[in-house]
Amino acid sequence: MEAEAPPPIGKSWARLYGIVLAFLAVQIVIFYVFTKAFE
Amino acid sequence: MRALDWIVLSAALGFIVVYGLWKGRRNRDLNSYILADREMKWWTVAISIMATQASAITFLSTPGQAYADGMRFIQFYLGLPIAMVILSITAVPIYHRLKVYTAYEYLEGRFDLKTRTLAAGLFLIQRGLSTGITIYAPSLIISVLLGWNIYLTNVVIGVLVIIYTASGGSKAVGWTHFQQMIIILGGMLVALIVAVNSLPKDISFREAAFVAGKMGRLNAIDFSFDVTNRYNFWSGLIGGLFVALSYFGTDQSQVQRYLTGETEAQSRMGLLFNGLVKVPMQFFILFVGAMVFVFYQFITPPLFFNSVETLKIRSSPYAFEFARLEEEHRSVHYEKQISLQGLVRAIRAGGDDNVSKAEARVRTDQTRAAVIKKKAIALFKKNDPAADTSDTNYIFLTFVIRFLPAGLVGLVMAAILSASMSSTASGLSSLASSTAVDVYKRLVTKDASEEHYVRFSKLATVFWGLFAIAFATFANRLGSLIEAVNILGSLFYGTILGIFLLAFYFKRVRGTPAFVGAIIGEIAVLYCFKFTEISFLWYTVVGCVVGVGSALILNAIMPPPSRPESAPAPAPAA
Repeated sequence: MEAEAPPPIGKSWARLYGIVLAFLAVQIVIFYVFTKAFE
Repeated sequence: MRALDWIVLSAALGFIVVYGLWKGRRNRDLNSYILADREMKWWTVAISIMATQASAITFLSTPGQAYADGMRFIQFYLGLPIAMVILSITAVPIYHRLKVYTAYEYLEGRFDLKTRTLAAGLFLIQRGLSTGITIYAPSLIISVLLGWNIYLTNVVIGVLVIIYTASGGSKAVGWTHFQQMIIILGGMLVALIVAVNSLPKDISFREAAFVAGKMGRLNAIDFSFDVTNRYNFWSGLIGGLFVALSYFGTDQSQVQRYLTGETEAQSRMGLLFNGLVKVPMQFFILFVGAMVFVFYQFITPPLFFNSVETLKIRSSPYAFEFARLEEEHRSVHYEKQISLQGLVRAIRAGGDDNVSKAEARVRTDQTRAAVIKKKAIALFKKNDPAADTSDTNYIFLTFVIRFLPAGLVGLVMAAILSASMSSTASGLSSLASSTAVDVYKRLVTKDASEEHYVRFSKLATVFWGLFAIAFATFANRLGSLIEAVNILGSLFYGTILGIFLLAFYFKRVRGTPAFVGAIIGEIAVLYCFKFTEISFLWYTVVGCVVGVGSALILNAIMPPPSRPESAPAPAPAA
C-alpha cells in the first residue's frame, strides 16, 4: 500500500476534511440564524 | 450599450481568446491535449472546477431566482462540500492511480466494455445538450434585452470558445478559467455595490435586509420535509449530495478538470477548496438578487421583465387590457411603497406588534401585485399559447442595463459571456475527450499515432461546438434556465452515479447486472419525471438507489458466467 502524500497545505487530510465539514455546519447555522433574524 | 461598454467587453473577451491560444500552443499528445500534461497546481484546479460549474445561467438566473422565490435555492448546494470530501477519499485516488483520461475508462477495467460505453453514451447525450443550453441561455436573454440577433450571439459565443478550446485543449481551458473567474466575481461585486447604493438614501443596508426578509426573500434555510417542495434543507443535503457526487465524480467535464492536477494531492486539494468556497459564492450571488428585489420595491419595476413578450402583447388585440393591468400595477406598487415606508418606520421604532401590522399591509399589497402579474401572464397565454411566461432570467440583466453606469455594463456583460465561455469550453473539451478516448480510440481506430488522436480530438471539439451552437439555435422556452439545466442533468446523473458506486464499493457485482441495473434505474427516473410530482432534486437519488438495488438483486440471482464477461482493459484503457 502506497503511503498517502500529505496535503499541499495543512497537516493532514483528515484535518482538512474536518475543516470542510465543520465549515458547512457553521454555514448552515449561520443561514438558519440569518433566515430567522430577518423573517 | 455605450461605446465604453463595447470597449470593455471586446477587450475582456479578446484577451481571454488570445491568452487561451497562447497558453495552449504546445500539445504534443493526448496527455497534453486532454490533461494539460497533468501539471496544474491545486488553485488552478480549484478555479477551473468552479468556473466549469458557474455558467452564464448561474449569473443571470440565480439573482432572478432570489428575486422571485427568495434565497432558498442556496440549499441546493448544501450537499456539495460533503461530496467533495467523499470524492477526495474515493474517486480521486482511483482515477490517479489508473492514469485514466476519462472517468468511463475505469468502468471497462472494473466491469466491461458495454457498461463503459453506456456511461460514456449517457454523458455525451446529457453534456452535449447541456452545453447547447449554456450557449443558448445568455444569448436568449441578451438578445431580448439588448436587441442583439440571437442566432448571431449563439454563433459568436460558440465560435470564440471553439477557437481556443480546439486549438489549445485542456491547458487553454484551465488557464482561461482563471481570468474568467476574476471578471465574473468582479462583475457580480459591482452589481451588488450598485444595487445597495441605489437604495433610497434614508434606507440603511440593515433595513434593506429586513425589508427583503419580511417579504420572504432571505429564506435561506427551511427544515420542513416535503418531497414535492423543490428546495428545502433535506432535498438540498441529500438530493444535492447525490447530484454533486454524480456531477463531480462521474461527469467528464469535471473529472477532466481535476485530473489535470500535478499530483493526487493537488487534485484533492482543488476539490476541497471548491467545497469550502462554493456555498458562500452562491450565497453572495443570491444575496445580489435579494438586494435587486429590495431596489425594485422603491422603484417601480416593469410588470413583466421579458420585453419581447411585453411588446408582443402591446401590439395584440389584448393591448388595452394589458395597459389597464400596467396602470393597476403602478398604482398597487405606489401603495406598496407607502406600506414599505411604514414597515421601515416600524422596524426603526421597534415593537413586534407594529412591525407585524406593517408587515401584514406589505404582504397584502404584495399579494395584490402577484394577482395582477398572474392576470398579465394569463393574457400572454391567451394571446399566444406558446408565450414565454417566465421572466426570472431577465430580471438581473434588466437591472444591469438600466441602472449601471457606462463601462460597468460592459464589465457585467463580459462577466456573463465569460461565464458562458468557461463552462462551454469545459463541456466541449470533455465531450471531445470522451468521443476520442471512449469511442474513437476504443471502438474505431485502436492503433494510430498520438498526433492522429490529437488531430481527431480537435475535430471532435469543433464538431461538438457546432452541435452545441445548433442546439442553442433550436432550444426555446425552457422556463428558468438554471432549473432547466439542473433538471436535464438530474435525468441522467443518478444512473451514472449508480454505476460508479457499484464499481467503487460493491466489488462482487459483475458487468451485466450493473448494466441492466443502470437501464432499470434510468427507466425509474424517466417515470418520475413524466408521471409524478417528485421534485427533480430527488431524481438522482431515485436513479442511483433503483440502479444499485436492481444490480445487487440481479447479481445475486444471475449465475456467474463460466468465463469472464470481457477481458479487463489494461490501465489506461484508452
